[in-house]
Amino acid sequence: MLFHEVYGAYFSAVSEILRRAVSGELTPELMKQICDEKAFSESFLKIIPALNSGEWQLLNSDFSTPLKKAPTTPLTLLQKRWLKAVYQDPRMKLFGLDWSFLDGIQPLFQPEDIVYFDRYLDGDPFGDPHYISVFRTALEGVKSGSTAEILYHSAKGRTRRIKCRLQSLEYSEKDDKFRLNVAGCRNVDMLRLAGIEEILICPGLYYKQGQPEPPKMLCMEAELINWRNALERAMLHFAHFERETAHLGGNRYGLRIYYSENDETEMLIRVLSFGPMMKVNAPESLVDEIKKRLKMQFELGIR
Amino acid sequence: MAFSELVKSFEKIRGYMREFYVYGFRTRSGFSGKSGRTYDNERRRLECILGEHTESSRDSRGKNVFLSIDSRSGERNPLYRLLRICSFTDRDITLHFLLMDMLDDKSPLLFPEIMERLNMYTAGFSEPMNFDESGVRKKLSEYEALGLIRTEKQDRKVLYYRSETPELSGYGDAVDFFSEIAPCGVLGNFMLDENSESKFRFKHHYITHALDSDILCELLYAMSEKRSSWITVRSSEWEVVPLKIFSSVQNGREWLMAYSPGVHEIRSYRIDFITGVRIGEIALRFDELRRVLSEMQQNMWGVACSKRARVQRVEFLIYIGENEEHIYRRLLREKRCGTVERIDQHTARFSAELTDSAEIRSWIRTFTGRIIQLDFGDRTAENLLRDDMQKMYEIYGIGGGEDAVP
Repeated sequence: MLFHEVYGAYFSAVSEILRRAVSGELTPELMKQICDEKAFSESFLKIIPALNSGEWQLLNSDFSTPLKKAPTTPLTLLQKRWLKAVYQDPRMKLFGLDWSFLDGIQPLFQPEDIVYFDRYLDGDPFGDPHYISVFRTALEGVKSGSTAEILYHSAKGRTRRIKCRLQSLEYSEKDDKFRLNVAGCRNVDMLRLAGIEEILICPGLYYKQGQPEPPKMLCMEAELINWRNALERAMLHFAHFERETAHLGGNRYGLRIYYSENDETEMLIRVLSFGPMMKVNAPESLVDEIKKRLKMQFELGIR
Repeated sequence: MAFSELVKSFEKIRGYMREFYVYGFRTRSGFSGKSGRTYDNERRRLECILGEHTESSRDSRGKNVFLSIDSRSGERNPLYRLLRICSFTDRDITLHFLLMDMLDDKSPLLFPEIMERLNMYTAGFSEPMNFDESGVRKKLSEYEALGLIRTEKQDRKVLYYRSETPELSGYGDAVDFFSEIAPCGVLGNFMLDENSESKFRFKHHYITHALDSDILCELLYAMSEKRSSWITVRSSEWEVVPLKIFSSVQNGREWLMAYSPGVHEIRSYRIDFITGVRIGEIALRFDELRRVLSEMQQNMWGVACSKRARVQRVEFLIYIGENEEHIYRRLLREKRCGTVERIDQHTARFSAELTDSAEIRSWIRTFTGRIIQLDFGDRTAENLLRDDMQKMYEIYGIGGGEDAVP
């Protein structure tokens, strides 16, 4: 069973409190701080009195504990079964780890148990040694916040050498691809990992300082009519965006969805998939693009 | 009863949390079938656990509270926190830490030694907790099933050991990554330090299925054991043989594909609509049924499937302009079970044989502006697509139409 108290935030907070008690550094203020960090906003109201009053007989009145060692909890069987399952994922090769400690554990699932039926078919080559090497170097660079020199082939076929600071690795489940977010480089902030021919970590390399300008955020305002379960489909489809929904009455709903300017073409495609169930009113750039596509379609003759 | 952040059953809050996150427009009075007090408790729980993501707005119908999360922001899936609120008793938490501490010594313990040590641990308290033997035995059995402790028999005695803890410090990146993208990723999330920062960002990242983790876990368990299960959907219980999980990376929905002995068919069941799973007997036909489903997948665009449905052809031609090779590449990477042919420099043909041509319509609409010809074996589905296009022209005032609401 996955919903169990041993995975709970209260157990996690109490574990940290007892760890600090074992090392003799526990104070009332620290208890409150741990509750806030490890659990939720009202958790301290339960945890601290329960420990202080002896309801939970784990902490003495002088903030020492009867425990002999700092508490730790072994992995559960379910966690080991999950690790064994993900160890079989082709993307796990990227991390180059030894999983022999899981010998004899039955995986929670096999790769063929899960079908990602709408994932794009041109995902990154996760088993390719060159790709793996680029991934590991990029990850190390991201972790250390280092600068790097990169030889990059863009999707449009251009090759360029880039000096930049490595920011983060972004993975898209739909595209099944990694992108490397970089800073300090003119006109480039995202590199396809599969397009990197060489990556060399060069600490102290000169690059354009300062935070890169974040992409402009746009707000799509749309009216949705709940035919053919469109409301539920739209709510789930756009669930990963920051958004607001309002019921306008009857089967009409108003949506406000915030998206990056860089993703306007993707937003256009997603909106078109809803057909007449969704009418976009703003931003103007998106409305114009929808009208342009419809005009092209009208001229092609599907009516 | 006083409010508590913790709950005994996740199912109690699952529907509410989904409502707050996925829909987010209902007011207190809009939650039909629930008392105002229940709503207030769930809203308070939400604010305690996910306060920084909780927002509200007000209109003529009242105030509505909702969750607003940009899953690209880099934060680990915040909905996983909801799976860390399982309630427990005073005895549960006390026993947990005492048992883990006493069994941390390398030497195993016998049951009487465990009882003796428990009493020693609590002897310093003014009113020492009274541990009854049957309660402690029950907890030891529970922890053995969870894998936290293991036992060995020596003659007629049972020795209790704490399970070994593997050193996972070098595994953080892998666990971090897969905890966000793998089924039941919350199990990986539980291994991570809540305060550490992820090195990964995710795009097109649907986090809603965190709420279905417990149900999915049971279904995966049933599949790994090739067992049938009893699933509860809208208060009715059905016996099924779970065969595969179908997951959409484009709309975040997940389905159980399962054989239903009641109707002798393989059907899809939305996992977010399943509210209970009871594991049943070994399903002797599991392998055979999985093979049947694999064959059916050749004609499935999404999850609609029926062995009895007639396969219908879906075909359309796409115009590819100058410097628009990306359109052709789009077709190739998104074709799923279909076939793409290049007819000439400016034209490509997509075709597929599908058991349900309704599912493909929304994908075809994404090529609006480039569709030269449509040809469906199922004329009703084709006409619906054409009607939709006509309505789109009207809505946006194309071809002489005026701007109108849909």
